[in-house]
Amino acid sequence: MSAALLAEWTKLRTLASTAWLLLGTAVATIGVGVAVVAGTHQSAGSGVVDTTALALTGIDLGQAVVVVLAVLAVAEEYGTGMVRTTFAAMPRRIIVLAAKATTVAALTAVAGAVAVAGSLLAGRAALPAGSGSVLGAITHGPALRAATGSVVYLVLVALLALGIATAVRDTAVSIGVVLAVLYLPTLLAQAVSDPLRRHVEQLAPMTAGLGIRATTNLSALPISPWEGIGVVAAWAAGALVLAGLLLRHRDP
Amino acid sequence: MSAVEAPTRPGGDRDGGLRSALRAEWVKFRTVRGWLIGLGVAGLLCVLLTYLVANGIHSGTCTGTGVTCRSGHPRVPTGPGGEAVADSYRYLSRPLTGDGSLTAQLASFTGRVSTNPVNVAPSPSATRPGLADWAKAGILLTPDTTPGSSYAAVLATGRHGIRFQYDYTHDRPGRGAPAASRWLRLTRHAGTITGYESADGVAWHEVGVAHLAGLPDTVRVGLFVTSPVSFHGQTGRPTQATAGFRHLTVTGATGGGWRSRAVGTSRADFYPILAAGGARSTGDTAVLTGSGDIAPAVVQGVLGTNTAASSLLLGLLVGSVVLIVLAALFVTGEYRRGLIRTTLTATPKRGRVLAAKAIVIGGVGFAIGALAAAVAMPVGDHILTGNGVYVFPAGPGTVSRVVVGCGLVTALVAVAVLALGVMLRRSAGAVTAGVVVFVLPYLIGASLPGTAETWLFRVTPAAAFSVLGVLPRSSLVDYPYTFANGYYPLPPWAGLLVLAGYVAVALGAARLTLQRRDA
Amino acid sequence: MTQPTTERTETVTEQRIEVSGLRKRFGATQALDGMSFTVSPGRVTGFVGPNGAGKSTTIRVILGLDTPDEGRALVGGVPYRRLRRPLRHVGALVDAAALQPSRTGRNHLLWLARSQRLPVRRIDEVIELVGLAGAARRKAGGFSLGMRQRLGIAAAMLGDPPVVILDEPFNGMDPEGIIWIRRFLRSLAAEGRVVLVSSHLMGELQGTADQVVVVGRGRVVADAPVDELVAAESGGRVRLRTAEPAEAAAALRRDGLAATVAARDTVTVTGADAQRIVAVLARSGVPFAEVTSQRASLEDVYLRLTSGESEYRAVLDREQDR
Repeated sequence: MSAALLAEWTKLRTLASTAWLLLGTAVATIGVGVAVVAGTHQSAGSGVVDTTALALTGIDLGQAVVVVLAVLAVAEEYGTGMVRTTFAAMPRRIIVLAAKATTVAALTAVAGAVAVAGSLLAGRAALPAGSGSVLGAITHGPALRAATGSVVYLVLVALLALGIATAVRDTAVSIGVVLAVLYLPTLLAQAVSDPLRRHVEQLAPMTAGLGIRATTNLSALPISPWEGIGVVAAWAAGALVLAGLLLRHRDP
Repeated sequence: MSAVEAPTRPGGDRDGGLRSALRAEWVKFRTVRGWLIGLGVAGLLCVLLTYLVANGIHSGTCTGTGVTCRSGHPRVPTGPGGEAVADSYRYLSRPLTGDGSLTAQLASFTGRVSTNPVNVAPSPSATRPGLADWAKAGILLTPDTTPGSSYAAVLATGRHGIRFQYDYTHDRPGRGAPAASRWLRLTRHAGTITGYESADGVAWHEVGVAHLAGLPDTVRVGLFVTSPVSFHGQTGRPTQATAGFRHLTVTGATGGGWRSRAVGTSRADFYPILAAGGARSTGDTAVLTGSGDIAPAVVQGVLGTNTAASSLLLGLLVGSVVLIVLAALFVTGEYRRGLIRTTLTATPKRGRVLAAKAIVIGGVGFAIGALAAAVAMPVGDHILTGNGVYVFPAGPGTVSRVVVGCGLVTALVAVAVLALGVMLRRSAGAVTAGVVVFVLPYLIGASLPGTAETWLFRVTPAAAFSVLGVLPRSSLVDYPYTFANGYYPLPPWAGLLVLAGYVAVALGAARLTLQRRDA
Repeated sequence: MTQPTTERTETVTEQRIEVSGLRKRFGATQALDGMSFTVSPGRVTGFVGPNGAGKSTTIRVILGLDTPDEGRALVGGVPYRRLRRPLRHVGALVDAAALQPSRTGRNHLLWLARSQRLPVRRIDEVIELVGLAGAARRKAGGFSLGMRQRLGIAAAMLGDPPVVILDEPFNGMDPEGIIWIRRFLRSLAAEGRVVLVSSHLMGELQGTADQVVVVGRGRVVADAPVDELVAAESGGRVRLRTAEPAEAAAALRRDGLAATVAARDTVTVTGADAQRIVAVLARSGVPFAEVTSQRASLEDVYLRLTSGESEYRAVLDREQDR
């Protein structure tokens, strides 16, 4: 396993796009977060705003970059045919999948931590003075939950993407599928009324998982924050199990 | 035909080179079965999700201006043009046979605004003084007092001066003098109704003329007052207006006496009123109190925002995502396999290759977008209506506009992603950018406060989704036509133009990179 | 065949590939460094050189795919990009693997035919020509490399072009296929076409090419008829097998011949023909088993010409860039 890990780490490290995508994750997340926080003063007086959640809005976009990173780690190998070399070198395919998952998860965790911490810090700086809201310190209980949970969410999204990419084996289609799974249920939930809306919000990975960003008014969430992360974890696990089964039973 | 032909002189396409390139690209597209299947999936998903969304919307979940929701939707009249209209007012009228006229001076015009919170039913006891901008009082002629009937009226308004209006959507302003103590006159000559105003009852000025088709010999003519929901910010409050008239003069064959009637103010009618009001007349004076509006219906707080196109959005987005993947593959697949070299060897004029590819993927995108919309709209409409939800009526013109609009959106999206694919040569970037650009404004928009999201739908490529905006809007109705209320900030053609601008820039950049770069 | 044949004969004589002074730099690598040569009709011209010598880049420049920093390449006196319906002038096989895997071979030819306004029946003709009739309706993704080469050649022949450029057509071919390509190239030349075939293995071209352009480090090292090159390289070398090599060599040197012991039982002699050697040895009474007069192979010529011209580093660098 450690040899497989080393091999996958080397492959991912030497892929020119990896560094850019990791940087992109942080930049996209922080950028959107700052823009949204800076724009809040327009609605001053419309009740209590959860500024922590607002500062983390950028995850909506940042996760797309994470998806690209995870998909490329797998699908590009199929695109170039290098996957045969990989499996020739490491015939136990599950080990390869596990090694890839570990590597991608670790990289995402690092980029995610930077993105989340950056968003909260930049968000505090961008918060218009006198808007009446404060961004709680990151060590403050709910804020800490939002921060760590958001990083966990990004890691799980990466694993979901990795699993789907292994099953689909094509870059473009994989990215399309993963982004559809993430984004479209959110729009579906916006479009329909209860009870369908509530079911969608509880079951879809993005709506359920991103409740972790909330620090106030938790009762308004479709599902409690950590349960929501559990939903995303179930999606990721499902995708990885599917990927594992297909790897075992399909010729590369 | 000969195998060896003279080389071309530069410029022009007299040899039909674009046509050949076009046919080649079309063969390329149709001979990959996976892409055809993808295209079918795009269309099916669009219809399926429209069905799903429509099915998830039930009446009884309406939110808004303090009207409790019942099962099924309230009655919404349909005007002579087929549009949804508000037609609720207090009417003091008498029959008129043949030609004739009614003259009156508006002596007083005041109003009240409900102060109850939106979730409490309005009551006349909880009000403050205030006349709504579009409160109306004047003389109205109609063949029938059934809501939605044809009419013509000359009237004074709260803040918009004297107007001549007929059949809900037609409006002519008067001279702009203040409404107070103006004289008004409405005359009928066969099917022609003319409205006049005067400062002194002596010198008359014509405000407008209407030709009402199929007007029966006997019509009703009389005084009316109505006062619409007033919006300050997002909150709508029902209002009531009271108008005093004097110097009532009727000419022509008018049988019977004055009769007061509240039109379109029953519990079954959709338009929110403060109270039904009443009318009193003595001699040549009369005082009327009324609430409601005679205008196009736009108030979504009561009706919901459902239109024939409203449940189409998600399906259109999903179909677009599939199409984005296809458009990216159509070009990046050639780069990945080196097939682009074969293509450019067969057609060395690279601008021509790009044009051919863009036309093929754009054409395919248009066809599938328009087809999916044409199928999905009646499906959504049918399901919504079956769920007891009010759906704003859409004429064939509106429906075909949405169908063509959806086709154009998907076509432009596909071409944009194609251009991105040419520039990036990698599918990952093209697909991600394509999806994020079109989907994200809807996600972030939902969490953005105030006017920020409006700008997302003005300046980003997502502006093109305003082709789905078919909710009626009217300059005759004060209403916050905001994105939050279901109104896109740009008209459909302008939204398409925004996207087209982005596409043009992307195509230009793609052409430049394709020309400059070694294949 | 098609109507063009009659018309071509007169035009073909004007067709030529003219490459003059091409220079092109990819980053730190000078891929082309003054590449100049001309390819004439009616014979097979081999285009050889080690990997990274600039063969493929030159071909891409000829086809208007890459733009040179300096110099130009003309086909029939015109830059490729100015050709109308270019596949009727130039047929090229650049990369046999460049296929959409889910498209059938026949449909691959169909879109090419459409791009040149060629009749559909021409597709069946070229499929027949390259012997792909059985596989043309299968997805190209399942093709072997040899079948892909044949499909690529079919695509090149689609427009019945007077100029044919094939980049490494022997790659992945089975022995039968190699024989077929050789014959096919000969027949193209015999029809009066311009035929340019690149290869990094000179041996493949022996007995096929009439003329070779040898390149190294982005420029032409030799450009001559094959016979001339081989004759110059051979220079009268004789190999002698004997049980007593030392004695044999001594006897030959005594007679003024340049003889060296090459192995335990072999002596090589230069500057004399076999007859004279036999005579000398007979006189000296040295026993010998075999005397062979050696003719240099094209391979030998190539190896000598290109020794030190290898550019493997350049290849590696460029592949990383792509």
